[in-house]
Amino acid sequence: MTFLSTFAPSGGRRLFRSGFIMPAVLIAIVAILVVAPLVRILLSTLTPEGIAAWQAVLASPLSFNLWWRPLFNTMILGFGVASGCLVIGGFLAWLVVLTDVPGRRLLGLMATLPYMIPSFAAALAWGTLFRNSRLGGSAGFFETNGLAIPDWLAWGLVPTAIVLIAHYYSLAYTIIAAALSSVGADLVEAGQMAGAKRPRIFFGIILPVVTPALIAAASLTFAGAVANFAAPALLGLPVRMQTLSTRLFGMIETGQNERGFVLALLLIAVSALFLWMSDRIVSGRKAFITVTGKGGRTKRFPLGAWRWPLFAIAVIIGLLTTVMPVLVLAASSLAPQSGALFSNWTLHFWIGEGGGEIAQGQAGIFRNPVLIDALWNTIRLGLVVALTTMLLGLALAYTIVQRRGSLLATILSQLAFVPLLVPSIAFAAAYIALFGAPIGPLPSLYGTFALLVIAASAHNLPFAVQSGRSVLGQISADIEESARLTGAGLIRRLFAIIFPLAIRGLFAGAILVFVKMVRDLSLVVLLFTATSPVLSMVAYRYAAEGFMQFANAITLVILVVCLAASLVAHGLQNRVQKWKET
Amino acid sequence: MLKRLMKSALAACVVLPTAAMATDLDSMTPEQLLPLAQKEGSVTVFSLSSRIAKVEKAFEAAYPGVDLIGLDMSSTKQIARLEAEQQAGVHAVDVLYIADTPVVFTKLLEAKRIVNYVPPRVAGQIDDRYKGPLLTQRLSTKVLMYNEKAYPGGSPVTNLWQLTQPEWQGKVLMVDPSQRGELLDLLTEIALHPDEMASAYKAQFGKDIVVDADLQGAGEQFIKDLFANDLILVPNSDVLNKSVGDAAAKNPPVGFGTYSDRRDNEKEGWALQIANDVEPANGILFPAVLTIADKAPNPAAARLLIDFMFGDDTPTGGAGFEPFNVPGDYATRTTIAHHPDSVKLDALKAWTIDPAKTAAARGRVSDLIITLQ
Repeated sequence: MTFLSTFAPSGGRRLFRSGFIMPAVLIAIVAILVVAPLVRILLSTLTPEGIAAWQAVLASPLSFNLWWRPLFNTMILGFGVASGCLVIGGFLAWLVVLTDVPGRRLLGLMATLPYMIPSFAAALAWGTLFRNSRLGGSAGFFETNGLAIPDWLAWGLVPTAIVLIAHYYSLAYTIIAAALSSVGADLVEAGQMAGAKRPRIFFGIILPVVTPALIAAASLTFAGAVANFAAPALLGLPVRMQTLSTRLFGMIETGQNERGFVLALLLIAVSALFLWMSDRIVSGRKAFITVTGKGGRTKRFPLGAWRWPLFAIAVIIGLLTTVMPVLVLAASSLAPQSGALFSNWTLHFWIGEGGGEIAQGQAGIFRNPVLIDALWNTIRLGLVVALTTMLLGLALAYTIVQRRGSLLATILSQLAFVPLLVPSIAFAAAYIALFGAPIGPLPSLYGTFALLVIAASAHNLPFAVQSGRSVLGQISADIEESARLTGAGLIRRLFAIIFPLAIRGLFAGAILVFVKMVRDLSLVVLLFTATSPVLSMVAYRYAAEGFMQFANAITLVILVVCLAASLVAHGLQNRVQKWKET
Repeated sequence: MLKRLMKSALAACVVLPTAAMATDLDSMTPEQLLPLAQKEGSVTVFSLSSRIAKVEKAFEAAYPGVDLIGLDMSSTKQIARLEAEQQAGVHAVDVLYIADTPVVFTKLLEAKRIVNYVPPRVAGQIDDRYKGPLLTQRLSTKVLMYNEKAYPGGSPVTNLWQLTQPEWQGKVLMVDPSQRGELLDLLTEIALHPDEMASAYKAQFGKDIVVDADLQGAGEQFIKDLFANDLILVPNSDVLNKSVGDAAAKNPPVGFGTYSDRRDNEKEGWALQIANDVEPANGILFPAVLTIADKAPNPAAARLLIDFMFGDDTPTGGAGFEPFNVPGDYATRTTIAHHPDSVKLDALKAWTIDPAKTAAARGRVSDLIITLQ
């Protein structure tokens, strides 16, 4: 739909109502939520110290190690991880959604798990297997069994990329699966009737149709890999590999904020360029409308002799990326010594009574009175943020899709992507400074739950917008237009048509936001003022005191919460989209 | 929220009608502070340690009617939050319990975002150098640690310069100093002692050191040589302790770590021990300070809390200090006895950092290590 056609049939008043008000409101919201903090960060790099930082980063003897080399590593990681995630996530999504592979539910569930497991767990799992003698201490599984592991496989870019793919492919899976499920049987059957062979159907019909989802998945996994700190720090530092995220963290951690902000701004610029190019690819081609309101049933390909081999491959991927990290996490919540993960297991860290010799007399996490409070706080925060983010994200995605190719859409989609790359600590600080003081008649938001929700919604916006876009892009304009002709307003259309049709993509996005919110620490710790904490803060407390077992036990609790949330979402979407059942 | 603002505004009216009153608060005894603090009702503290929870219990038991709200946050986050809050005109926190003093010094003290306060009750029992520019409550360490199981005869390193030799190539560990302030402070302190580093060089190699033209002094030369000798950087102290301390290791590396982590030896199966007999020094002692935020909403309760966290007159420091009394950390209050199992503070061969001097030299050292990576 072009910019003009929104105007044409509706007449003057309608134009003013839905054609102008909504984008204006959205621009205002995005300006406040995203642009204002960004401008504030930008301004802080235009002070004399900031100018010196720009110079140090871009034109000094430091630039090579401070910017160019980390940029190079970061881009390799970003592109490597994005392509790896597309291949693995896409493969699994195709297998689960479009074929008759056995155990589809199990495979689908396993494929959504890795994103809920923190990336440090995957990095730890890698270390448990591949750690070599470079650091001293106990070696990994392979070296203990006589297999020498070279440095390049134990440390640096290769393991970091593998671990990040293992972590982020589920993000790609979630988005691509949501889009694939909207490829109707009629399209595929039409192809079959015209005599197209299976590869032809795949490359000629399915692939073009899900391209927006592929681009969305690539963008998010790219940004995730680029912004990830834990994996490159754990696996890269021992061979002095720095990425922009480790550099950025280090600069802020050692009090050189301006340099950190300069790096962040440059990273945003580089990523924006990448996103802009991918946007061009999407908007340069025709959009394929697949959700037409007719024949929404999904068609499954018979795999024949390949059923079991492909199933085996999928299971192996799931085992390596899900079971391994969870096993390491679980073991490290049971083992009294972090160096010997698989001996002397005890349940003390979960349910122990405390007062004894273990863990300096601390009781297990389920005896910590704070835990229930924290659990409740965490779920409440996750739900509220997921809801607000999705509402805002849906409105944004709707506008972007409706005005595809226009300047407005380009600007909005670029801006909606930025928060993913702004370091949480800078983001949160900007929010306190911006909204801590009363603005006009509005009271100060400092210390309120509302400020936390607003900041978190803005911070997680990219997930909602990207996943919303990829699904909305497929919904036919006919349905909406028919509704509009019968006099349905925007809100009515949203709730009666868009929501039910796009529910799978929306829930996919909501889950991603929920998971991110439940795990995220930096944003919460700066904006939270209540003394009853959230789970990630409890985990941090334990970890800061050196009790990794408790911290890992809490991480597992977080995992269970995320898993439960995603199962509930799955159940809900099946109830809404009953016509999908065949 | 509004209620809280009103309350603090009210408290400000009651307690702070003139600036002279603030100086009065500084000279009050805990007994005089208590009724004012009870009128304020609460005190909010940002703490680098989660052990503030134990202080909370003890404080509220000792001073009923004053609610302690403790939020544990890393030093970096405390600084970011305080700066942002004060820029927005919000004054919500009273006390900061914080390390990373070089950054605190430039970003908070010089910008007048915090004020120094020394409780009169304990002022006579603390060395002058710990009373300003910020009040130090205790000292922590970043010192050379080795594996006492693998080296039962004592530290395998007796001079820092040995670490730049082939036998220690790829066998010295350190948390990346471009990621963590304390390690950057350690290297900065080494750079700030060029003469001692030069004479240690002479003691080790029997000749005068030749410093590269682009470097300033023997300390910077040491940093460069250490990096050139394949110094291994790790992301956190957990990784470092496991690698250096593993009791089963045959040929373990050494590393710059935290002395007090030795208390986990038994629990974790480590054999960490401090290498104290090292020329010219084995590392640094750095302060954890207690300070009051500018325009603190509860100024009397804030002072009462800082006073409380220096402990009572017993050798353990009682409930106010005990949570922080671990072997390998050192109380600045002289009445508190150091742990019997650890090296005495005056026998420890570590340099104590001076936040102001470190802050001035830190940038240069940070730039140096970036070029060395």
